[in-house]
Amino acid sequence: MLGKGGKRKFDEHEDGLEGKVVSPTDGPSKVSYTLQRQTIFNISLMKLYNHRPLTEPSLQKTVLINNMLRRIQEELKQEGSLRPVFVTASQPADPLSDNFREAQPAFSHLASQPLLPTDFVSTTPLESCLTPASLLEDDTFCTSPTVQHDGPTKPPPPALQPVKDSFSSALDEIEELCPAPTSAEAVAAEATADDSKDHPSESNIQKPEGFPESRAADSKLMDSLPGNFEITTSTGFLTDLTLDDILFADIDTSMYDFDPCTSATGAASKMAPVSADELLKTLAPYSSQPVTPNQPFKMDLTELDHIMEVLVGS
Amino acid sequence: FSGAGGGNDIQWCFSQVKGAVDDDVAEADIISTVEFNHSGELLATGDKGGRVVIFQQEQENKTQSHSRGEYNVYSTFQSHEPEFDYLKSLEIEEKINKIRWLPQKNAAQFLLSTNDKTIKLWKISERDKRPEGYNLKEEDGRYRDPTTVTTLRVPVFRPMDLMVEASPRRIFANAHTYHINSISINSDYETYLSADDLRINLWHLEITDRSFNIVDIKPANMEELTEVITAAEFHPNSCNTFVYSSSKGTIRLCDMRASALCDRHSKLFEEPEDPSNRSFFSEIISSISDVKFSHSGRYMMTRDYLSVKIWDLNMENRPVETYQVHEYLRSKLCSLYENDCIFDKFECCWNGSDRQVSFFSLIVMTGSYNNFFRMFDRNTKRDITLEASRENNKPRTVLKPRKVCASGKRKKDEISVDSLDFNKKILHTAWHPKENIIAVATTNNLYIFQDKMN
Repeated sequence: MLGKGGKRKFDEHEDGLEGKVVSPTDGPSKVSYTLQRQTIFNISLMKLYNHRPLTEPSLQKTVLINNMLRRIQEELKQEGSLRPVFVTASQPADPLSDNFREAQPAFSHLASQPLLPTDFVSTTPLESCLTPASLLEDDTFCTSPTVQHDGPTKPPPPALQPVKDSFSSALDEIEELCPAPTSAEAVAAEATADDSKDHPSESNIQKPEGFPESRAADSKLMDSLPGNFEITTSTGFLTDLTLDDILFADIDTSMYDFDPCTSATGAASKMAPVSADELLKTLAPYSSQPVTPNQPFKMDLTELDHIMEVLVGS
Repeated sequence: FSGAGGGNDIQWCFSQVKGAVDDDVAEADIISTVEFNHSGELLATGDKGGRVVIFQQEQENKTQSHSRGEYNVYSTFQSHEPEFDYLKSLEIEEKINKIRWLPQKNAAQFLLSTNDKTIKLWKISERDKRPEGYNLKEEDGRYRDPTTVTTLRVPVFRPMDLMVEASPRRIFANAHTYHINSISINSDYETYLSADDLRINLWHLEITDRSFNIVDIKPANMEELTEVITAAEFHPNSCNTFVYSSSKGTIRLCDMRASALCDRHSKLFEEPEDPSNRSFFSEIISSISDVKFSHSGRYMMTRDYLSVKIWDLNMENRPVETYQVHEYLRSKLCSLYENDCIFDKFECCWNGSDRQVSFFSLIVMTGSYNNFFRMFDRNTKRDITLEASRENNKPRTVLKPRKVCASGKRKKDEISVDSLDFNKKILHTAWHPKENIIAVATTNNLYIFQDKMN
């Protein structure tokens, strides 16, 4: 599965991660607790998002992994280490700092997030929502129409402007955190330092944040948990990918570099300019269908290219 | 162990092994369920390829008192085929999740087999005679010219080679949105339940186009889903009572007389978490993978990842007994989470129910890794670890107990935790209802062990 390389059954070196339960309050073992927690968080994300089943994945497994992620996020939240995360492109004009969103890949808590984009829902094109197959279900419970790994569903071009705003301010934040963004060691060192547990948290959050939820205020005759609890066809997947996903996916990778568990996702260099192709490639694992660029998507990529160049200053 | 008979320990001996010998396991051959019928004469297995193989026990040879009858293939049929859900663009696996036998009412045998979505009632019948001597047909089936018939005769049945036919008599479909994990036949022998991740349905064996939903734990907002149903079973004596277990380690007992939709449980069985053992994986390892009532119905047994628990139906706040199956894995949970082994669903079973052999549900059996399986004697509190392996297994040789060395110096004949093969898992075991014969399924082989008869 995840490569630490080599034999994986029982690794003696795993004692740092395995072994006794480490309580978060232990002094010297706090680092290893944090490390263990982060490892588990990453593993959980990988399990949810790298799974390309031909058959529906086990709902029980998905629920348990989601609960794990949620618990860890709760913990992080309680520790107060969560920084305001990036607003999604669907919430234009909101300054970053106002928008604290729990980074849960599969859940969004309506109650706790007044800024949840019910406003943009109306622009959600039906065809980019979940498979209409669910309409045939007897249940008429309707939940969010989110697709797996979904970003808010809306026509991509209008997203560009707000994305740019939020993204650049987000980028500034990152640069604050990582004075030497091109140095893997610096990032790693900071990330693993006790006093900057913000970093792992943030990087962890970024990834799920890159798949923000969209909620349907109107009822849709489907019950599908975003991405995880209801398998949808991937026909709608690509159209639901927004720039957020692409951009954040890129950033995430860089933050994860110190972490062996996520090295499998591809070690994009931090903040280095990436071409749209590379971005597409990083996204390919998340889609169970071959990437077939459609018109609006193509347009995004060129603009994306441009943005990347500007931001990274190449 | 103390058998109810006379206080002798059961000594398990290898009897038979069925299945391919080579190490290369064909995916379709992976055994996914094992079940004896009510008399123990028939032993059914289901596999990932959707096939059911039924073995039949030879009639005991009265002169051969040193072994019980062997099991030989009786019938093989394709129960389920893979399907494709076009609407979701997903395959529906043909893997047989569960088989349950109906008690025998006439010459034919009936069983329910289910995959993720569809339950089927199969009739297995024997044909060992055929009619001969038709007036209008030749023996090969060709029709005779009626004008050539000069005399009439009555056709007679003549013996033929035994033919075992399996035919699907009922197909119970389209009632489950999620994956079926359990089926359980009611003690009224007329109804049965089927449970998926979020719902439990009640069926009548004769009616295929209608089923009644009796439990629904699906939240209005799927994003609030945190718990699923993992197993369900009818009470052995009370036809209105059933239990279902959850991924959070709880068991709910429901009474169908209370309301049509049993969303409110009558009893909730849950053990408080042991704070000293808390870890990131506490919830996952508490998820119950199997639940089985004792024969009397007074107790029930649950299997979670590391232990087997016996519950008294009259006591909801904690189990009466807990047996550790492989506690040495507790320190390895992170690895097991990573390689998905932590999600393995081990089943458990009681010893046989025949009153002459063991009136009480005394012994619990369950599987582990490295092709080990474990038995716990509730009376003596002793336990044993045995291995299902083709090596060192001669018929009528008593199985040697195994031991896993958790840490420290490994003694001779012990196996260290790090050497365990986690691809060799025993998830399914079954105990003959009347005799001390057990069926243990490794990945693609079925082992039969029996009590050493003196």
